[in-house]
Amino acid sequence: MATKSLAQMRPKERGKITKVGGSGHTHRRILDMGVVPSTEVTVERVAPLGDPIEIKIKGYHLSLRKEEAVQIYVEMIER
Amino acid sequence: MTKKLNIALVGNPNSGKTTVFNNLTGTHQYVGNWPGVTVEKKEGTCRYQDYQITVADLPGVYSLTAYSLDEIIARDFIVEEKPDVVVDIVDAGNLERNLYLTVQLLEMGARLIVALNMMDEAGGRGYRIDLEHLSYHLGTPVVPMVASRNRGTQELLGQIARIAESRVPPSGLRIDYGREVEEEIEKLEDLISQSALSRLYPARWLAVKLLEEDEEVTKKFKEGNVD
Ligand SMILES: Nc1nc2c(ncn2[C@@H]2O[C@H](COP(=O)(O)OP(=O)(O)OP(=O)(O)O)[C@@H](O)[C@H]2O)c(=O)[nH]1
Ligand SMILES: [Mg+2]
Repeated sequence: MATKSLAQMRPKERGKITKVGGSGHTHRRILDMGVVPSTEVTVERVAPLGDPIEIKIKGYHLSLRKEEAVQIYVEMIER
Repeated sequence: MTKKLNIALVGNPNSGKTTVFNNLTGTHQYVGNWPGVTVEKKEGTCRYQDYQITVADLPGVYSLTAYSLDEIIARDFIVEEKPDVVVDIVDAGNLERNLYLTVQLLEMGARLIVALNMMDEAGGRGYRIDLEHLSYHLGTPVVPMVASRNRGTQELLGQIARIAESRVPPSGLRIDYGREVEEEIEKLEDLISQSALSRLYPARWLAVKLLEEDEEVTKKFKEGNVD
């Protein structure tokens, strides 16, 4: 099973979160917003240079900074 | 005889708290600051049957951890002011994310009503929500609303009065954190129940917060247990 960080994903790719790394306030906020292991995410859009990256999770859209996205690991879901 | 009630409106950012607040209080509003900080504090009053209800519009939060000023304000208000009823304004179109806060409120022992707002948007997206089922599992009343069209306001007031009148016990909802964590919670709960702090906060909630290494609770605990 292919594991990547969210920052390595391309638009329309889907995955299941396996790990959310990081620490401090932003990390905590990300967890509070539902970015937690075993949740499915779809990458919607990626800005030039990969920052920010827009994902869809639990039915809503969320923008993440690249520095946050590199710490979120996903198992790719084949289409 | 008018009876006085204090209620608080909480919810995720943009879930419609201020719209509900305006529907309830109309022009009977005043704006101040939370003690010691510059965050705006909105309060208002409304009358319903023989109740004189004071309504507080709390800052929008995703969670009740102690990581931001808004969260600390919302949390302290609920724990320390102990409003008679807490109305959790939930965005029906974003149920899963919003219910995280709902569960935290229930763990805090708040006497809760879930106001399921934005029912129009949820319907527009094809969501059909089984209100009775939700209410059964949460152990709270669930009131569907479209606050922007002032729909559901009377039903909400009806539930507020009913909860206040009947002294319905807070929901018994209890999240099972799994054996390992539950064992630690139990140990901590035993210790906590002997401390003065357990008169202010539910012991289980304090135990969970200590395990999360919540800074504010840890600090309060150290201060309150010097002997
Ligand atoms: N479609 C729809 N829109 C609503 C509803 N209730 C509120 N709104 C709109 O949603 C937006 C946000 O509403 P507010 O009442 O400001 O939300 P809030 O929870 O106070 O937001 P914060 O204080 O920023 O956390 C406004 O544009 C409202 O008009 C509703 O039931 N349906
Ligand atoms: Mg508001």
